[in-house]
This record gives sequence, structure tokens and C-alpha cells, in this order.
Amino acid sequence: MICSIVPPYMLRKLAAQDEPRLRAVARAAKESLLHIRSLQAARALAAPATPPGIRQAKPGPPKRTIYDAGTSEKLPGKLVRNEGEAATGDAGADEAYEGLGSTHRLYAEVFGRNSIDGAGLPLDATVHFGRLYDNAFWDGRQMVFGDGDGQIFQRFTKSLTVIGHELAHGVTQHTAGLVYRNQAGALNESMSDVFGVLAEQFLKQQSAEQASWLIGESLFTEQVQGAALRSLKAPGTAYDDDVLGKDPQPDSMDGYVRTSADNGGVHINSGIPNRAFYLVASALGGRAWEAPGRSGTGHLQVAPCRPPARSAASPRRRRPPPRSFSAPDPQSMTPS
Amino acid sequence: MKITVRRSGGLAALTQIWTVEAVTIDDKRRWMPIVEACPWDNADARSAANQPDRFMYAIRAGQRRATLPEKAVTGPWQVLVENAKTEGQESRRR
Ligand SMILES: [Zn+2]
Repeated sequence: MICSIVPPYMLRKLAAQDEPRLRAVARAAKESLLHIRSLQAARALAAPATPPGIRQAKPGPPKRTIYDAGTSEKLPGKLVRNEGEAATGDAGADEAYEGLGSTHRLYAEVFGRNSIDGAGLPLDATVHFGRLYDNAFWDGRQMVFGDGDGQIFQRFTKSLTVIGHELAHGVTQHTAGLVYRNQAGALNESMSDVFGVLAEQFLKQQSAEQASWLIGESLFTEQVQGAALRSLKAPGTAYDDDVLGKDPQPDSMDGYVRTSADNGGVHINSGIPNRAFYLVASALGGRAWEAPGRSGTGHLQVAPCRPPARSAASPRRRRPPPRSFSAPDPQSMTPS
Repeated sequence: MKITVRRSGGLAALTQIWTVEAVTIDDKRRWMPIVEACPWDNADARSAANQPDRFMYAIRAGQRRATLPEKAVTGPWQVLVENAKTEGQESRRR
């Protein structure tokens, strides 16, 4: 912006010029001064109030509906449990129902957020999706959970962190809208991992120190040498198995992985912001859903006003190698 | 002709690869129509954006290649992927 390059005192001098040959310069200088004033006025405005969704709305109870795809890949499937109905006796369906309830409670009670969209969006989930399906996902409207193949994975509803992770993708879609590719995608993934572990910590009322910080604990069968899919506390250490190999997550920008797979490594590089969140939470101590968790939801609300971290629109542009990122040292941080 | 189906992403981000070597005349006779039926020039990876955690498929057959989100693996693509999973050599990238 040109207005910042010429200092205001010089502009004022130019604006005051009466000489005919300097008239154009004077007019330009006056316009620049007016522009600067409007900028200063904007800067002087009070910082925006707490974004809506943080301790303001009056969240209602959840509106859960659980469907059963019966090993087909058709969504949503057959309705098996509505809000308020008794347990079905099907472990997957009941885990999904309870897990959505716990996650809804975290958003409502801690962040004052009324469901995924902040306006009470119903929580729909389908279980028993596909045959031996090794995955869970958010399809843009609802959560979907597979049963696992029984060799490596058990059913994906077994861990509340996975249910919280999927629901958080809905929240990100309705707030920050982080593009699901490269660095923005890794941030999107990290938001889901953070809210996934917070849902579990909130349910168990665990402090940052007590918590496992694992995503997908109890998902692997006993045949797999590994504790979970990911660790926010120690990215890269969640599993090390003869068949699956080793957890590939880096814990700092020095280890940033460039790859065409996985939408540009969104589930790999999420280890970097995951570890940063863990470090902040452990430095502050106490319950991670309090101060650090709130700043997380704050970022989700503010993010749409800023350009995306890295948009998917320009993936081919050459960039300098990533600067090294040093995560805060917990010892040097003082709780606020 | 070598056919590879690489499935990446998913919540667990464990990459799995299925490889088929169509060497004999019989193999080629069987695989060529499966490969030819796929709309290689119109494969569209963009619809992955609104389905976080879904698998991504990178498919190669000879010189042809395409990247597709799981949601787009339908019709002839599904036939190719399912056949490769059934008959192909399975491996994981560590
Ligand atoms: Zn995810």
C-alpha cells in the first residue's frame, strides 16, 4: 500500500502546496492522508468482541440420529436410534450415540457452541458402513464409521477421540473452512485431533498431565504393535509395527513431509500443530479444554477473515523451503 | 502392462498398494477392456475437498494415470479398483 511508504508529515507538507505545478501532487497527498485517517480509525476500533459461539449462545440438547448401513456403502442407511430412545444393543450404534452426546456436551458446556454449525444442526451418523471398512469420515453432512477388517482395525466407534475427530470436521467446515490440502489441510486435521482428544479428556475429567493424548486408542487389534493412530504428545511414536511400519508423523517443521499422497500429507503433517497444542496445554497445566481449548475455538471463528494458511488454489507455485519452527519450550512459558 | 492402485489417506493414513502385472496375452485380453472403460481424461480429484478422512486413490495403468477421491470410484473405476484389489499383489508403503 503506497500510503504507508510516504510518511504522513511529508504528505501534509505536500498537501499544503499551492503552486500550480504541484497541484496534482497536493491532491494526491490529500487523498493519501484521508486514506491513512480511515485506516487509523479502523485500527483504533476496539478488538472484535468474543466471537459468537464462545460462551454466548444458549446451546440446546443434541439431536442425534444413528443409521445402520448394514455393510453397504449407501448413506444414510436404516434408522436404528433416534434422540432419547433406548440403547439398541448394537455396540457400534450405541457407541456412536454416546460419543456424539459427549462431544456435543464439550462444545455446549465448555465453548457455548450449539452443535456443529452453532445453530443446533442435528448430529447424524452411520455405522457398519461398507464391508470390513477400515475407516471413518465426515461426508460434508454426517459422520460415517466402518467396522474395521478385524485383522488390523476394530470398529471405528470404539474410541471417543475418533467420534470427536469426525464431528470436529463438521465444525471446521462451518467455521474456518480450512482447505483440505497441504498445510491448510494439516491444520484442518489438527483441529479435529485436538477436539477429539478434548472430548475424551472432558468426559474423563482428565488434566493435561493425566491424559493419554492419543487418537484412536483401542482401535488396533491385539495383533498390531501400537497404542493408537496418532499421539499429540509425541507425534511419530503411536505405532511401530512389522506390517504397518512406523508412525510417520513429524513433530516440528523440520520434519515437514512433502507428498502427493493423502491430499498432501494432511494426516502426516498434522503432527506439527498437534504437538504445538500439546506443549501449550502442558505448559499451562490443568485442564486442556479450558484456556488452550478456548483459544482453539477462537481461531476457528477468526480464521475466515484471513487468507488461508496455504490455499489449494496454487499448489504448483515454487516456495522456499519451510523455515524451521521451534515449538515453545514448556519450561520458559509462564501460565497466564 | 502394469496396473497399480495406491490408496492413501483415510483417518489412519496407512497407504496400501495393489499391483497387477498383465503379462500374458490372456491377462492383457482381460485387463485391456477394464482399463479402456475408464474415463482417464476426465478423472477429477477436486471433490475430495468436502469429505475429510476419505481415502484417495492414485491409479496407474501403463502410461495412464488418474487421482480420484473414494467417492468418485464408481462405475468402470470401481470395476478396475475392485479387480486390482482382488488379484493384485498387496503391499504397504512404510
Ligand atoms: Zn480427519
